[in-house]
Amino acid sequence: MSDDIVNIEVDGKPVEAKKGQMIIEVTDNIGTYVPRFCYHEKLSIAANCRMCLVEVEKAPKPMPACATPIMEGMKVFTRSPAAIAAQKATMEFLLINHPLDCPICDQGGECELQDQALGYGRDVSRYQERKRVVKDKDIGPLVSTDMTRCIHCTRCVRFGDEVTGLQQLGTTERGENMKIGTYVEASIDHELSANIIDLCPVGALNNKPYRYSARAWEMMQRSTISPHDCVGSNMNAHVLRGTIKRVVPRENELINEAWLSDRDRFSYEGIYSSDRLLRPRLKSGDDWEEVSWEEALNRLADELKSAGGDNTGILAAPGSTTEEFHLLSKLAEHIGTANVDHRIRQRDFSGQDNDPMMPWLGCSIEEVESADAILIAGANLRKEAPIIAHRVRKAALAGSKVSVVNSGEHDFLFDVFEHIHGLGLASQLAGVAVAAAGSGQVPDSIAKLCEGVEPTAAQKRVADSLANAERAHIISGLIACRHQASSAVMALVAAIGRMTGATFGSLSEAGNSAGAHLAGILPHRATAGELRKESGLNAAEIVDASLTTVLLFGIEPDGDLTCTPNAEDKLSKSKFVAAFTPYASESLKRSANLMLPIGTFAETSGTYVNCEGRKQSFVGVANPVGESRPGWKVLRVVGNLLDADGFDYVNSEEIRDELFGQIGEIHKDNSYDGGKIATNLNGADEPANEIDVPIYQVDAVVRRATALQLTPEAKRTSGRQS
Amino acid sequence: MNRIRGYIKTFVLWELWQGLSVTFFNFFKPAVTIYYPEEKTPQSPRFRGLHAQRRYANGEERCIACKLCEAVCPALAITIESDVGEDGTRRTTRYDIDLFKCIYCGFCEEACPVDAIVETRIHEYHMEATGENILTKDKLLAIGDKYDAMISADKAADAKYR
Repeated sequence: MSDDIVNIEVDGKPVEAKKGQMIIEVTDNIGTYVPRFCYHEKLSIAANCRMCLVEVEKAPKPMPACATPIMEGMKVFTRSPAAIAAQKATMEFLLINHPLDCPICDQGGECELQDQALGYGRDVSRYQERKRVVKDKDIGPLVSTDMTRCIHCTRCVRFGDEVTGLQQLGTTERGENMKIGTYVEASIDHELSANIIDLCPVGALNNKPYRYSARAWEMMQRSTISPHDCVGSNMNAHVLRGTIKRVVPRENELINEAWLSDRDRFSYEGIYSSDRLLRPRLKSGDDWEEVSWEEALNRLADELKSAGGDNTGILAAPGSTTEEFHLLSKLAEHIGTANVDHRIRQRDFSGQDNDPMMPWLGCSIEEVESADAILIAGANLRKEAPIIAHRVRKAALAGSKVSVVNSGEHDFLFDVFEHIHGLGLASQLAGVAVAAAGSGQVPDSIAKLCEGVEPTAAQKRVADSLANAERAHIISGLIACRHQASSAVMALVAAIGRMTGATFGSLSEAGNSAGAHLAGILPHRATAGELRKESGLNAAEIVDASLTTVLLFGIEPDGDLTCTPNAEDKLSKSKFVAAFTPYASESLKRSANLMLPIGTFAETSGTYVNCEGRKQSFVGVANPVGESRPGWKVLRVVGNLLDADGFDYVNSEEIRDELFGQIGEIHKDNSYDGGKIATNLNGADEPANEIDVPIYQVDAVVRRATALQLTPEAKRTSGRQS
Repeated sequence: MNRIRGYIKTFVLWELWQGLSVTFFNFFKPAVTIYYPEEKTPQSPRFRGLHAQRRYANGEERCIACKLCEAVCPALAITIESDVGEDGTRRTTRYDIDLFKCIYCGFCEEACPVDAIVETRIHEYHMEATGENILTKDKLLAIGDKYDAMISADKAADAKYR
């Protein structure tokens, strides 16, 4: 074999390992457990807890397994008397200052120190002196602190420094007086910050909203998928008697690694908001009265029957499940309407015929890390998709040239190669496109946009970095998607990609825009991207036209319907607005006529398709609140009441299998060259025209998550939504 | 020979006299029965009867909602809900013991790190209506308050064996 392989011996067993690995990586690979606190495979090596001491032949003292590189012929003993004596001694030192408050500690039952004290600790303490007490810090509404419990592994400090890029936590003083803190009194303020809860091996940093509400051993762990961004982070909900008590990340190297964004972690609080809709409600006059499911559904069916196809519009939130989209699509087909849309924040629909079968990232989430040059166009990436922002940051730290073209300035927490901002997004991109074309011609599709554009030096550098890279990638974000001239922006980005040889992809709204595209929740495309003979009305037109009957699925008009101004007022002009909603929100009370309680993402089974086209199915993890029912079950009954064919599903898997059977293979294509030529912008390209939805305002559930609304980020951005 | 002996025993009612002799000798032994409820048998301080929750001398309730009793209960008789209390400490918002499920094993008492839940010597209690079998937190604390002297004395008597 090559020189990269080193032969060592662990506990008498010969092992082959890669050169440069640390002992602990080798032992982890072969399943030999070495106790540790400070070592974490995603973080740098600190070797300051000393718990992983092992005996190495010919070494005079025990060596820390996490910081000792392997060498040819090395003999490691992890369970020899000398190693165990060293580990026990370390444990005794760690326990000197650790309080004995396990019964009231939220980490109790899942604590690394507790577990290892059982294995390596003495039964009775020899320590008679005073214990150290450290003042607790207030580091924000998400993470509670009990700093006396800290064992100074510095995982949280390294996480801040290496993963988030914001050094908000650090150590002060030394020896016994060493403390973890925020230097100056401040909240930790990053969209991944709450991961320090999972990293902390003891109960020093804990989940604040969850504080004291349950114990680790009594909860059921159920897997689910995040609905708030297009990443589809895998997570585990911890459920006690049918109620979600907390959410933790489920490790998936391909998607979210070991991390979870704060939005995904704490949004569950919104499920138990006090304004949940518990029973169907019908408007009579100006008042709302509670009605039975039967009465509500019959009324809805009557209204749908009397309105007729062309006078009916359906708007669905992009965070609904693919199954719900499929049933809505079938329902629309039965009624005979193509006025169906999920693009509730998009404002420019002129380029919709160029759109691909589904919006996708252009590469897998994992591949973003390995790009040599990345261009981020029209994205407040950290707030839109924190996990992808983390991947981009990893690429940048590894030497990738990451450029940003935005109309506003956003902090990316790494050295951005070129940060172009200040002017309109399309004008900036036109400059990059001309620079990319060099002496040649820009493609016809964007020729008019590029007329008379002279690229600046910065735009040239961006184009060069993409053209010269071995693997270049362009990501267009949600600002581009919501842009007043988004069709022009998309055409420009795609053209830049084609000219520089870069792959190109886009982020999409909420957790399941891709699923909505596939299921045909679009006015111009039916299931599987098949073009409709006659296009229906798009989201903005449905609202503007004040149709007779409008179905809103999971939408709150004031927060979600930004495709057209004053959507709420326009909707209230419709004769009958039926809202499928988890919440009795004020906005719906003003604009709707019927509210049907449906479950949130945690109370329904379904499938999300993320931005790489990955289908992820999940089951309902929590009991439905009140009389709310999973959306697909309600739609199934509506279908039956309308005598539509093929609505006799027994479970959501049948719906999923039917849909994906129809779709077959997903064509992931980002050419954006359907032939429609983007023309001039007529002032649509002003930076002020952008819609940047604050990170904790993206959907109804997040808007009601109380802890998230108390974060500095939420306070900074409240009221910024246009 | 055995047959003849059998006949004789039958005719002199031998087995009857043998049985009556037990009765006869018991006339001269002290009685073991007592006149309950006027008289009662002695009880061990470790007797496991009705549950109670205790308070510290300053009136603060002892229970810290660690839920170890709930976890150890083999009959799943205990149900606890907890939250952050008014003073920021860990407190129960609900503490129910179902007396119909309880098997009076005393594990909850053993598991408790702060001696909050105890089983008292009270064994003469009854329920009249459905639902009275559930001892809520208020009831448990009331029992604890009422019999505080007895519980403390029992704990003190048993302390040297722990």
